[in-house]
Amino acid sequence: MTSSASSGATAPVATTSPPAPSGREGRRLAPAYGLTAPATIFVLVALMGPLALMFRYSLNRFVPGQMMVEALTLDNYARFFADSFYQEVLGTTLWISALSTLLCLVAGFPVAYFLVRQASDKWKGRLLLLIVLPLLMGNAVRTAAWMVILGDKGLFNAVIGAVGLSPVKLMYTPTAVVIGLVSVLLPFMIVTLQSVIEGIDANLESAAQSLGASHLTVLWRVVLPLALPGILAGTMLCFILSMNAYATPVLIGGPSFHMMAPTVYQQVAKAMNWPFGAALAFVLMAVTLVLTTTANVLVQRRYRRWSE
Amino acid sequence: MSDVVLQSIVKRYDAMTAVDHVSLTIGEGELVALLGPSGCGKTTTLRMVGGFIPVTEGRILVGGRDLTHLPPNKRNMGFGFQNYALFPHMTIAENVAFGLEMRKLPKAEIAAKVKTALDRVKLSHLAERLPKQLSGGQQQRVALARALVIEPDVLLLDEPLSNLDAQLRHEMKTEIRTLQQQLGITTIFVTHDQDEALSVADRVVLMRNGRIEQQGSPDDLFGRPASRFAAEFMGVTNLLSGELAGVGRFRLASGEEVRVDPAGLSGELSLAVRPERLVLDGAEEDHNALPAVVELATYRGLVIDYRVATASGLALIARRPSPAVGGPAPLKPGQPVRVSWHPNAGTLVAA
Repeated sequence: MTSSASSGATAPVATTSPPAPSGREGRRLAPAYGLTAPATIFVLVALMGPLALMFRYSLNRFVPGQMMVEALTLDNYARFFADSFYQEVLGTTLWISALSTLLCLVAGFPVAYFLVRQASDKWKGRLLLLIVLPLLMGNAVRTAAWMVILGDKGLFNAVIGAVGLSPVKLMYTPTAVVIGLVSVLLPFMIVTLQSVIEGIDANLESAAQSLGASHLTVLWRVVLPLALPGILAGTMLCFILSMNAYATPVLIGGPSFHMMAPTVYQQVAKAMNWPFGAALAFVLMAVTLVLTTTANVLVQRRYRRWSE
Repeated sequence: MSDVVLQSIVKRYDAMTAVDHVSLTIGEGELVALLGPSGCGKTTTLRMVGGFIPVTEGRILVGGRDLTHLPPNKRNMGFGFQNYALFPHMTIAENVAFGLEMRKLPKAEIAAKVKTALDRVKLSHLAERLPKQLSGGQQQRVALARALVIEPDVLLLDEPLSNLDAQLRHEMKTEIRTLQQQLGITTIFVTHDQDEALSVADRVVLMRNGRIEQQGSPDDLFGRPASRFAAEFMGVTNLLSGELAGVGRFRLASGEEVRVDPAGLSGELSLAVRPERLVLDGAEEDHNALPAVVELATYRGLVIDYRVATASGLALIARRPSPAVGGPAPLKPGQPVRVSWHPNAGTLVAA
């Protein structure tokens, strides 16, 4: 009796209570906005702030002896486009980055694929750790090790000398810089690819095989298209990192080898030309941004169809 | 179309033997179901036939040709996966065309065959869709079309129905069987569901711990399970352990002595009686009959399952039609009954 009485009493209350208005929805989300606020403010202040400041600097005028004079001029950008030296630096940076990224992809994909498909769970963890282990050591320290290996009297020449080959000039060459960059960037590529290949159902490969596809065809028609998002992510990551590489080009490239990041540093810290250094930094950023965005759009267009 | 012969195949992983000397011949055009619980080696066996898992020992022959060591892409077998494994980045038509492209057929011929294959599973109107836009049942039909369009010598199906809901499962079961008979294709069908195996297969092979436990026609397995495991797996819920007490007499562990169909067995035995064969009232003269009490009644739509217990603690499940389909009035828990069965209704199996 009591239960029916109470249900009779609550029923009208339930039916008369109006459906939740959208305003209430907004009010319920308010705490969420509140929680994300600190991080949002931090990102705005800590990341966008310096960027805005640097952009403002790039519009100032450099007067030797006075460092920076407040102005609103595009002279610094004009200088970049007028001076072929800096364009060549950008060109070098671009092709070194493109080549390093490509090599990372070619070398990283088989490793990532092997990790996902062949390694047992136990070994997968260990091998992944081994792959990211170099990242635990400072970039400059690792690069210093490459100097020891690639030097004229270094390990590499000692080894090929031992088998009777004449020594090779590697140190302070673009080749050495590419080797150094690949060694720095490869872990990023492998880890990115590994996580994406992990998401590709192994049955798809079996299915393709049973339909008559060879390993190479399976790779080309099934694995690569499905790994495209990972290839894009890994490629962008490696490309951006090498466009901004500093330690490797300085230490392995030597004094007469120029890439963008060291040149920016040289302008800001050595020539004390902050406005031009800032302008160079923004040129570098703009070029990187345009290239990666273009790549992103091109690839997105191909896989958006089925990936959503 | 070809027969498939497995000659004592073995798959060992380090210390673990997944498949232990399995010998099996699947006749031309025959549909054999490999049935068993997970870990019994049925899927491993199927994948060895498909070439995805290397065989440790033994040989696999198809149409007399030894392809034990051939890679999957040289075997000309159609494989259906539990999760369908449709290529997500290709349309339905591209999925079906894939195997034909691998065979380097001319474009026009591929288009024609794809159309026929999709017509066969009634999905031509979805040819330009992507797999994710299809329902589970439609995806399974595409997978089937893709496997069959290459005109394989053998069709291998790995739990093809287990991701579908009950209604679709029934439809697909019929569809697979119809297609298989139309094309007369030799088929191995892996499942853990006895009902599926019984309704689809010409022959059921029950596997356990990497070995074949029992094989035969669906009726053989269902009606004459050879072991306690087989009986349990084929859905016999009453398995009464005990021992022979003279010719045609069996003493249950709970103490009662009942008459049984004499079988050439000895030692530890179990008496297997299907719940449908137990009668709860009106015991006939020649029946085994025990006084019991209804403990629990479970209404299941067409039938009602009663758990009854004798004074000695023996619990049995009896099944009767429910009143909805003209069965007798339901019994209530606590009601005394006489549970009885004809001696022929029970099968003695090794315990």
